[in-house]
Amino acid sequence: MNGVRRLIGILVLAGLVLTAGPVIAQTTFIFGAEGEPVDLDPAVITDGISHRVITQMKEGLVKYKGNTTEIVPALAEKWETSADGTVWTFTLRRNVKFHDGTPFDAAAVVWNFERWRFTKHPQHENQEKVGKTFEYYQKQFGGFDDKSLITKVEAVNPTTVRITLKSPQGPFLNNLGMFPFYITSPTAVEKHGTAYGKNPVGTGAFKFVEWKVGQEVILEANKDYWDKANAPKVQRAIVRNIKDSSQRLAALKAGEIHGMFGLNPDDVKVVRADPNLQLILRPTNTTGYLGFNYKVKEFQDRRVRLAIAHAINKKGIVDALYGGTGLVATQFQPPALWGYNRDLKDWEYNPQRARDLLKEAGFPQGIKDITWDDGRKEPLQFWYLPVLRPYYPNPKEIGEAMAADLAKVGITVQLQTTDWAVYLDKRKNGQLSLYMLGWTGDNGDPDNFVCYFFCNPGASTEGFYSNPKLAEVLLQAQRLTEVKKRAELYRQAEQMIHDDAARIFVANNQPPLAFLKKVRGYVANPTGAEHFNTVYFQ
Amino acid sequence: MGSYAIRRFLTIVPVLIGISLIVFSFIHLIPGDPAVTMLGERATPERVAEIRAQLGLDRPLTTQYLIYVGKILRGDLGASILRGDPVLLDLVRRFPATVELATSAILIAIVVGVPMGIIAAVWRNSLFDGFSRMVALTGVSMPIFWLGLMLAWFFGVVLGWLPTGFRLGTEVTLTPVTNFHVLDSLLTKNPQALASSLRHLILPAVCLSTIPMAVIARMTRASLLEVLSQDYIRTAESKGLPQRAVILRHAMRNALLPVMTVTGLQVGRLLAGAILTETIFSWPGIGLWIFESIQARDYPIVQGATLFIATIFVTVNLITDLLYATVDPRIKYD
Repeated sequence: MNGVRRLIGILVLAGLVLTAGPVIAQTTFIFGAEGEPVDLDPAVITDGISHRVITQMKEGLVKYKGNTTEIVPALAEKWETSADGTVWTFTLRRNVKFHDGTPFDAAAVVWNFERWRFTKHPQHENQEKVGKTFEYYQKQFGGFDDKSLITKVEAVNPTTVRITLKSPQGPFLNNLGMFPFYITSPTAVEKHGTAYGKNPVGTGAFKFVEWKVGQEVILEANKDYWDKANAPKVQRAIVRNIKDSSQRLAALKAGEIHGMFGLNPDDVKVVRADPNLQLILRPTNTTGYLGFNYKVKEFQDRRVRLAIAHAINKKGIVDALYGGTGLVATQFQPPALWGYNRDLKDWEYNPQRARDLLKEAGFPQGIKDITWDDGRKEPLQFWYLPVLRPYYPNPKEIGEAMAADLAKVGITVQLQTTDWAVYLDKRKNGQLSLYMLGWTGDNGDPDNFVCYFFCNPGASTEGFYSNPKLAEVLLQAQRLTEVKKRAELYRQAEQMIHDDAARIFVANNQPPLAFLKKVRGYVANPTGAEHFNTVYFQ
Repeated sequence: MGSYAIRRFLTIVPVLIGISLIVFSFIHLIPGDPAVTMLGERATPERVAEIRAQLGLDRPLTTQYLIYVGKILRGDLGASILRGDPVLLDLVRRFPATVELATSAILIAIVVGVPMGIIAAVWRNSLFDGFSRMVALTGVSMPIFWLGLMLAWFFGVVLGWLPTGFRLGTEVTLTPVTNFHVLDSLLTKNPQALASSLRHLILPAVCLSTIPMAVIARMTRASLLEVLSQDYIRTAESKGLPQRAVILRHAMRNALLPVMTVTGLQVGRLLAGAILTETIFSWPGIGLWIFESIQARDYPIVQGATLFIATIFVTVNLITDLLYATVDPRIKYD
């Protein structure tokens, strides 16, 4: 009997030890990420999870201001551009050092640009050999080597860098603000080669400590950070990999993490209702749309497209299916972009008007079957996404809601989806008749939204939509550098897309972030460039 | 015994070839171009071509398969499309976490399941038997995913007793030796890390143990009941041996054989279950890694890890077979 008692005593004691939760000092900020970073070398990655970690350690010449996409100085104090917009001169900050103690100067900037630009640069070539590419450089600056829009990068003196472009590029500064163009320590890259992504060295507010694979990345405050006003308020920052979003929320509620990204739409109200939690919505940078295929004869008639625009109850969809984080989209660009057309009046939700338009177009009985350009007839298929995307958090339900709206005006569709790869393949080859898709912006520049889709008239990827006048306006805007003039052109472009009902823009989503109530100072940015150095505990 | 072991070992070869064929076909059975799938909306023709070349998708199928097998034999499981790291390196790095979890789970399953089965068999049709049947049924039919979430919610969020996930608290530092945290904590004499490791291990291990525990309990019960009805047990009882000795020394030894087979087979289930359990509890083992790779469509990892797990499964079953002789001296391998 004594033995039994002793055993129970030991078990109780063990239970007490094991269930006594650790006290986490409030000098560490722990963020729950939706997965593991791919690599911490900004030049070779494209994913948001790596971006978040890298942004704590590194900086570019310029950056996005607070919760906007407005460009402000970062490692460059100021800059000027030549009258024709092809030569940019940046004045760099003095006395800035990389975390490895090497100086940040014009030579380091030139070295970074050369690494990105030249495929034969040893630190470029070695990455390509292991399957990593400088995808963003290629995309934002037209390609590598001779194809590159950037033709020369010179160190005029230790604090001045001059960049020469082949032709002016409107979004140049917005491009430079993107994470792939953060400046890294040349010494560290040369030392680690392709393993640099696991040993990152920048000039940012936090220094890299350790990446525990599959678990977390640990950072510590950079005591020598040049921007004293924005020095980190916590000593450590940890980004933990918690794949499952319900589990992430559980960890937040349990106080094991202090903030998280990637809430289920249904959990938004849970966070709102919890007195210990707070919700921060990231300004929207994403638009979900409904695309037409212009090889379908019915969709070549603007009145049919307009009828669909009038038939879809966007507000109803946003209210019911976006968990309170969606906004009704009136155009392609989200409202935070400076090319957004505030004067544009959206087509109203008006089923009767839709029916009238269909009648006018010669479809008094509505539309059930479609005819392709080559004479093929088939039932009208409505393609919804097989995967969740930021712009369509509930793709199936949203697709069903749109199909129901269309049915009300006499357009009968067959809901369809397929594997994501096949979906993208079919979209690329212009095989989807009526389809849901969307876009998340990269750099806050309108060009990245509108031109990406409408600068190549007749492309199969865009359902063969051809509007050469629109493309001309967009290409003109791309060549200018003055924001005011460019904004005017983008507003004009949005109006043109709208008037033609070229595509139906359904919703913008504001991705939600959840934090413990005591966390203060987190600023959500549309591009996802969010800094932990402003975070503190109340 | 030696020749049996060799013969038994050789039968694994065709199984492994079959597995390699299936794993190899993965990439070709999934609809759509794997390169496009991996790259998503932003797939550029150049990048697609690059990935295709890297995966060797432009060569004939048989060539692709032979190259694949050749590489496996040289220990080259390929490299992650996303991160570029060799798959084998990551496997080695993540395997201890999964082994630690699976071992704890199987231990819980045996420690709870076997006695539960014995009691249920001895007091057949009693209240406890009914209760154990209910527990077993619930254990088998409850989705691990749901159970894991509920455990984390109740013990982590509501009661605040145990962490909702992970292997170690952020406040603890542990010097890795073997990457088995419990073992490393003991080796480095780090009681704080030991407590933290155990605290973090409890919920995922319990969650993962439910199905094997239920199966082991039911198998023990059935097998013991069968043995208990045999003549030699009646003889033992009539000799006046105490019930405890009859059951534990005479009946259990025979009843244990099928239980062992079933336990061996549970290893496969455990590894499959680890995919869900590790994902729910952010346990940085092979399961979570497979889940992430499936989502990212990082096929070399999915292929490599599947091949690895299948090989382990086959090996464990081989070991189980060989262990029979130890448990039952009547079994001779000629």
